[in-house]
Amino acid sequence: MTRSSRRGLLAALAVALPVLVGVGYSVLASVGLTGPGAAGGGSARLVAVLGEPVVWAGLAWSLWVAAASTALAAAGAVAVAALFRRGAGIDRMARLFAVLPLPIPHLAAAVAGLLLLGQSGLLARLLASLGLLADPGGMPALVYDRAGLGLILTLAWKEFAFLALVAFSVVATRGERLEEVARTLGAKPAAVFRRVTWPLLWRGILPAVVAAFVFVASTYEATAVLAPSDPLALPLLTLERYTDADLSRRGDAFALALLGMTVSLLAVAAHEWARSHWDRFEP
Amino acid sequence: MTEGSRSRPAVLAALALSALAPLALLLLASVGRDWFFPAPWPPAMTLESWGDAFRGGGRMAAALGTSLVLAVGTGLAGAAVGWPIGRALADLSGWARHLGASAAFLPVAAPPVALATGLHLSALTAGVAGTTGGVFLSHLVPATGYAALYFLGVFTLFDRRVEDEARTLGAGPRTVLWRVTMPMMRRQLGEAFLLGFLVSWAQVATTLVIGGGRVRTLPLEVFAYLQAGQDRYAATGALLLVIPALLMLGAVRFAVARAEATPL
Repeated sequence: MTRSSRRGLLAALAVALPVLVGVGYSVLASVGLTGPGAAGGGSARLVAVLGEPVVWAGLAWSLWVAAASTALAAAGAVAVAALFRRGAGIDRMARLFAVLPLPIPHLAAAVAGLLLLGQSGLLARLLASLGLLADPGGMPALVYDRAGLGLILTLAWKEFAFLALVAFSVVATRGERLEEVARTLGAKPAAVFRRVTWPLLWRGILPAVVAAFVFVASTYEATAVLAPSDPLALPLLTLERYTDADLSRRGDAFALALLGMTVSLLAVAAHEWARSHWDRFEP
Repeated sequence: MTEGSRSRPAVLAALALSALAPLALLLLASVGRDWFFPAPWPPAMTLESWGDAFRGGGRMAAALGTSLVLAVGTGLAGAAVGWPIGRALADLSGWARHLGASAAFLPVAAPPVALATGLHLSALTAGVAGTTGGVFLSHLVPATGYAALYFLGVFTLFDRRVEDEARTLGAGPRTVLWRVTMPMMRRQLGEAFLLGFLVSWAQVATTLVIGGGRVRTLPLEVFAYLQAGQDRYAATGALLLVIPALLMLGAVRFAVARAEATPL
């Protein structure tokens, strides 16, 4: 092994070490070997936590919110990237507005979502001023609701900016040449989009879509502001257990943290598999 | 005129509304007084919450200061630590490179709550739990991951012959770093600083767990105001979270535009 390889692997270890230590601690704590409520080892805690319906309900709810908001954001990003791809003023303005929410923290987006979609939020006030609503109770629940509509819309708005940025870049760097070839071969605009632009965009933004999904599934800030208490989303359930007054329940948080990490790793592995599968068909 | 081009102005208007309306709503909520349902517009305005945000000794002003110190420190340290790690990772090839990139990806992909609970023992052992230093270190973990990944990409494309030439002219390693590499990397260092700044600026879970409620940053104050039903203060805090992030992005875009002619 060369000196630069050794240095590189040491650097890899350095950057991953804090997380690996954390994961190691979570593994030990989830089997009761260390941490709050440690009971001398064994899989009893892990089995008990994974046997709780509230855990799976929370996980399913988090995955539903992540899938719905990422799908909405991805569909919007693809549509906008296909529509505003030229160098005209209107295209540049559209691209600017699309990516503007990118640096806005999720918590700020969640506060705006609450003020807009809440029972007495701006939307309800506008409906009331149009005579469509008499009191806040008449407003359909869009925040703290079991379907998570308010959270989905807020996260979709936030992730749209990120996915649109990636989609614009894919269209700008890879789309033009291949579309030109398709056109010279006689393809109509609809066929060019269906056979060239769409597959390019979809494959190009897939890594970002997976990253957005993983992020949203584990996001805490917006979920804490807009999600219901039943079912309790996995990140909220993890932190609730970690701060439980009953010390014996605090160890449950480590089993839940491992569950969250497993979901993230599975999503990344699925993406890597899909990418290696599709790379064989790249021109 | 195709259907797509006919719909473009309408979609542009929708994009503009979608980007600006939430910010306008936050601004309105931050200055609106006695704004009760069903009034669509605040009946009176006040700058009380904004005054509190900048008045010394106030809760929000203190939290804003802590957040700024943490974010600037994390941005600087993240760039300084991520640089050598990213450069060393860029030297790898084959399986070792995949392994190195995956290692740098770990702190980025780890769920924040899982990362925070996992790091808590280390913070307790090191005696930094519940301190600003401990929170800074916990912010540095994901920030270093982002910066390392960023510099991995940068140094993969970096033409090292420039450094070789300087060395053949007699420059030592330190001179090459300060007189050749660093001046060429000003833009990249600025962007890495921005990444670290934004990562720290928006952190909640690690601050909550590692800080144990004793380190009060702006996001934690926004949560507290929301829970207390003080929407005006929550909206002010939310806007204070937005403004530096937008300013930073604008500054970096400006710097990028200026440095665009400089080849890597």
